[in-house]
Amino acid sequence: MTFFTGNFFTRKMPRRMIVQMLIALPALSLFRNQPAVVDPDEIVEVNGWILKRSDLA
Amino acid sequence: MIFDSYEAFRAANFTAKVCILGSGPAGTTIARKLGAAGIPVVVLEAGSREFSDESQDFYRGTTVGDPYFDLDITRLRFMGGSSNHWAGWCRVLDSQDFEPKAWAPDTGWPISRADIDPYLPEVHDILELPDFRPDVPISDDIRWIQLIKSPAVRFGEKFADELDASRNIAVVLNTYATELAGDGKRVTGARLWSNGQDAGAFSADYFITCTGGLENSRLLLWSNQRSNGGVVPNATALGRYWMEHPTFEGGNAILADYGEFEVDADNEAFFSPTLAAMERLQIMNFGIRLIETPYPHVKRLIADLACTAPDMAEWMSSRLSQNLRCAAQLYVAWEQAPLASNQIELSKTDVDHAGVPRIELHWKKSELERRTLLEGLRLFGTTLAQKNLGRVRIADWIGNGGDYPTNEETAGHHHMGGTRMGTDVTRSVVDANCKVHGMDNLYVGGSSVFCTSGECNPTTTITALACRLGDHLGKVIAV
Repeated sequence: MTFFTGNFFTRKMPRRMIVQMLIALPALSLFRNQPAVVDPDEIVEVNGWILKRSDLA
Repeated sequence: MIFDSYEAFRAANFTAKVCILGSGPAGTTIARKLGAAGIPVVVLEAGSREFSDESQDFYRGTTVGDPYFDLDITRLRFMGGSSNHWAGWCRVLDSQDFEPKAWAPDTGWPISRADIDPYLPEVHDILELPDFRPDVPISDDIRWIQLIKSPAVRFGEKFADELDASRNIAVVLNTYATELAGDGKRVTGARLWSNGQDAGAFSADYFITCTGGLENSRLLLWSNQRSNGGVVPNATALGRYWMEHPTFEGGNAILADYGEFEVDADNEAFFSPTLAAMERLQIMNFGIRLIETPYPHVKRLIADLACTAPDMAEWMSSRLSQNLRCAAQLYVAWEQAPLASNQIELSKTDVDHAGVPRIELHWKKSELERRTLLEGLRLFGTTLAQKNLGRVRIADWIGNGGDYPTNEETAGHHHMGGTRMGTDVTRSVVDANCKVHGMDNLYVGGSSVFCTSGECNPTTTITALACRLGDHLGKVIAV
């Protein structure tokens, strides 16, 4: 028990906050995979049409 | 002089130095050049002055492979040859068409565009053409090219009086050579057929076959067979590498701005790829014919576009009330890769009235051409989109890899190859001067000598090559 009671986080932070942080962790990964910047002039082929990506907006 | 039979010609005691077979654009042009140089020439024309079913019947044949036109419909057998149904569209093969393409075997000519350029002023006179304007690049990939719609010179009509008045040229109608005889070095004579019967043997110092892009191969194949190889000693390529310009509707376009190009009097404009684009995509040459279409087509296209890109469709629609000119149909005609397997053979079962085997044409479009069609439309569509000139929709059957439609133009009635020009005797039939390899006195005129077809109509190039051959032969004979 000495190990837990001596830990910085367990001494300074309430257990409730720790749980909330753990729950929030997966959501943080969303910010890591930010979508690439889309080139509006990129040429795309949709249903036979040769279009600019911005045409699809 | 013009004679209606070989009998009448013989009675005139005209001695010809050169015998030209066929009075189409190539035959007539070469005859005029030689006649002007003071060289006596006889032109044997199989038909008469007018079309007849009896004459056309000699052109019947069969096609194996892809669907093609009836062989007695796709060409004409009377004075002036197939110029009699020519549409008159003119353009010379581009410089790049003469160059070998690393991605397409058996491409490249032994001559360059510069070799025929000196003859273009004469060609312009013959075909009554204004000067061509230079190509206009509308992107790094696509050129706006000019294809002149000429008055469509009918060589038989246009030059009949001149030929009749000539003292050096004798045109003999209803007469042709069923076969040439040769000893492996020279043509020694021709077996003639006139007005429905055998007319005996005929000889001249030089022979030039100008019977068309199908018939040249037929005549030489049959002659060679009868002479045990004495007419075309190196016959590996004879009849092979035959080419057309396959032509299909490739899709549509909605056009927003004509700032970079104008349509002609028929509401058409023409586009081709740059050499760099062909090289990058490893495709053949092609021509896109953009034809403005009536208003209802615009609405249909915009409705279709609205399903995919509603905002773009709305913008296009708004242009309708401003200066949007129209929608367009896109027809694509492309260069066929020269393939030895596309060839003219002699029928083993069917002969004409003179006993000459009919043509069995083996013709099939390749995968490279299919890719040329699709990538060509993509290139054009990309250019229009990038330049905000409009948007292109590729026909479903092309995008989906479907079969070629059977109810469209199919091809251009352009018969090329079969006696192609080259330096390798196993892959060509004539040399750079259109002389049959190994023969001293046999030449070939017309589009059968084409090594590659480019994307444009062949008559202008045929006429230029004929001027060049006429000049060359005039010098050879004068020596």
